Amino acid sequence: MKIMPCPLNGPRNISEFTYGGELNAMPDSATCTDAEWADYVFNCENRVGVVTEWWMHNASSYWFLAERHTGSDEILRTFDPKEVFTQRVDFHAPAQEVRS
Amino acid sequence: MSLHAEHFSERSPLYRLHQDAQLNALGDSCIVSNYGAGDERARAAHCGLLDLSNLARVGFRGAASAAYLEARGYQLPAVPNQALSQADGSQVLRMSQAEYLLLGSLQDTGARVRQEELAWQFDDTPNYLLPRQDSHAWLLLSGTCQAEVMAKLCGVDLRAEAFPVGSVAQTSAARINVIIANLPLGELPCLHILCDRASADYFWGALLDAMQEFGGQPVGLDALR
Repeated sequence: MKIMPCPLNGPRNISEFTYGGELNAMPDSATCTDAEWADYVFNCENRVGVVTEWWMHNASSYWFLAERHTGSDEILRTFDPKEVFTQRVDFHAPAQEVRS
Repeated sequence: MSLHAEHFSERSPLYRLHQDAQLNALGDSCIVSNYGAGDERARAAHCGLLDLSNLARVGFRGAASAAYLEARGYQLPAVPNQALSQADGSQVLRMSQAEYLLLGSLQDTGARVRQEELAWQFDDTPNYLLPRQDSHAWLLLSGTCQAEVMAKLCGVDLRAEAFPVGSVAQTSAARINVIIANLPLGELPCLHILCDRASADYFWGALLDAMQEFGGQPVGLDALR
């Protein structure tokens, strides 16, 4: 079976992991347009080459990042998301009055 | 009057499989003391399986969890996927950078760890309670054949040279997610296995099936004493 190296748990069968999609830069939710936000949430590039993706180790519910070549399916590197996300992201949705 | 699991509000998900066994009280619940056939102590030393689901367990997670547990007198493993036995027989498993799982001790029938779940208060410190009593089942695979049994079910090498005492593995066994900790009870080699509680009946059967070629069978608590 294909083996993936989990940054927390070490090498594990690929069947222990769940794919979580491409890592994309998040637009500022307070200032971006609905189209930009929808593009971020729903669309992916799906290109051939080395991409950075979210993966989760099921048994520990641990999310991490992996660099993988989408052509050869070779996993080049896996790492903790703290390498990319150095500070907490908070969402402050402006309160809006609902008019009926 | 003999004990029956139905007399207790807390019951193991496996209690129907232990209908013919002799039970003993364990805190507010019960545990199999023996199955009444053969030398269970010898069986436990070779290849035995015990249901510890009624023994207390609880988790804590958050940036302040380590300081919280240390203040409550626990010694914590230095790195994730390691476990430390405490002086009173409780065990602390470190599941990630900021998550800990406490396993109750048979010496106090889990009273200290059960008290931890009751003592926790929600406030603004990042230390969150992870109730594990009703989410997981807790099985004990004992004896010298434990690694060979698990090799039939699990992709991780659990032999002593690769998985020494104090190791923890979060992985898949018999196709379900499990937490496995190598924590002997005295001289008795033991793998503590926690799995989804709703899958416990299936997993108990899968383990017994794997144990069959080694002559493994269920044992009661008397076999550990």
